Amino acid sequence: MNIDITDPHYAIKMKALQALYSVRDPELNINIVDLGLVYNIQVDEEKQSIGVQMTLSTRSCPLGNIITNHAKVAIEDELEGYQAEVELVWEPKWSYDNISAEGRTALGL
Amino acid sequence: MKPPDEHIPGLKAVLPYYLFASIGFVIFHVLLVFAAPELPLHYFQPKLLALTHLFVLGWATIMIFGASNQLVPVISETKLFSTTLPVLNLVLLVAGIPMLVGSFWAFQFTWIAYTGAACILLAIILHSFNIYKSISAGKSNIITDILHMAHAWLFITATIGLLLLINLVFPLFPEEHLHYLKIHAPIGMAGWFLQLIIGVSSRLIPMFILSRNENTKLLNITFYCLNAGLALFLIEGMVFRSFHGKYAYLVLIVAGLIAYARYIHGCYKSALRKQNDAGMRQTFIAISFILGALILLSVVLWPGADLQPNITTALGFTFFSGLVSIIIMGQTFKTLPFIIWMHITRLNTLPELMPKDLFKERWVNVQIWIYLPGLAMLLAGLLANITILLQVAAIFMLTTAIIYMTHVFYITGKLKNKQL
Repeated sequence: MNIDITDPHYAIKMKALQALYSVRDPELNINIVDLGLVYNIQVDEEKQSIGVQMTLSTRSCPLGNIITNHAKVAIEDELEGYQAEVELVWEPKWSYDNISAEGRTALGL
Repeated sequence: MKPPDEHIPGLKAVLPYYLFASIGFVIFHVLLVFAAPELPLHYFQPKLLALTHLFVLGWATIMIFGASNQLVPVISETKLFSTTLPVLNLVLLVAGIPMLVGSFWAFQFTWIAYTGAACILLAIILHSFNIYKSISAGKSNIITDILHMAHAWLFITATIGLLLLINLVFPLFPEEHLHYLKIHAPIGMAGWFLQLIIGVSSRLIPMFILSRNENTKLLNITFYCLNAGLALFLIEGMVFRSFHGKYAYLVLIVAGLIAYARYIHGCYKSALRKQNDAGMRQTFIAISFILGALILLSVVLWPGADLQPNITTALGFTFFSGLVSIIIMGQTFKTLPFIIWMHITRLNTLPELMPKDLFKERWVNVQIWIYLPGLAMLLAGLLANITILLQVAAIFMLTTAIIYMTHVFYITGKLKNKQL
């Protein structure tokens, strides 16, 4: 996921993204950002809220609830005073091509 | 949109199955040590009948029931229809299996044997109903079709099994008992075990090795060829009481297996993750035993061959102890740590431990290093009729079973750890 440097919320989004690097996929043991699961981060400074749109590698992933909760916890720990909301989306469908170069290296590919 | 956590069944629908199955696996190998000298005799004998039923029911079917309660919601993208039925099913199985197996071992068929068999059949019906309702509520695809048919074959196998049990005391069938045993065993092996393994592995293997292969046309070929071959075999055997078409049915089944092998090969070729962990390596080793079983089956069915029954027994061990046990042992450590992790990890804090930290990969490697030489010795002992080799082999395999059971209990013990 890329964040435009001209984005007015660039700094906060980058912090949120950094926080999401600490959330790991339990099966692959790599973080959800490098796995390409995080699609979008939105900031509402008035409401002090961070919205995350992410997906799962499989729609019925039994670990989905845990991963999304951990994403929320990671952001709220990093950005004190902000509330995080994580929304699961299924479009575009996740594919293995979403995995970043770092993710591929971590997987030993 | 249903939240994904609805797909997680309660621990009681899954975990007790893993524990009882691992105990059944050890008991099977303890009895194998005692029965080893008699293995090369004819397969229709009390101890081998007892061992076979302990294996297929007390180890493999219990484990598969528990795992499918966890995996069917993932495969069909729905929740388990009932989480109470699995508890009742396990009670029925744990009560019924010792009754049936004990009766075979003693070769005494009283009300105990019939009660045990009835409990098992009831558990199978209830489990199949639960799986049917769960799958029907979710997305239908070729893999769910394969799972439906596998359960249908399990029901047919168990029903014929119960009738055969009655037939031992009150003759029901027009042909001799062995004729129907030759139907009961293959449809259980290919219809239930093989088909279920094909269905579940077709979904899990691509997921675990990060495969891009989505060519399910090959699985359609597998589904139709395998079930057509088995259905024709069943109809000819039961209705016409002959096996004249057995080579044609075998060709159909082998064609289905070739399509499955091509599907798995395609998955592996397009996989991002080619370096597999111990659990996946054992899964691929297990699948290779299908080829070994087919070679032995060809020998058994060779026209005009007058073979000793020990070759048929070797075929059984290649299929069950090779394919079924090794795939279950490998996949246990791909599923159980996740099941435990899901139930002990806290939602409000990031975990320090991951599922891979809940088990010992080295133990998984050790189990196969001991098991494979044991199985090789067992097959050699059977084919060459060497009793001492069979006994040493059984001890090797028992050692593996004890390591495996200890490992399963070790992982389960992590439930006490609430510090993740």
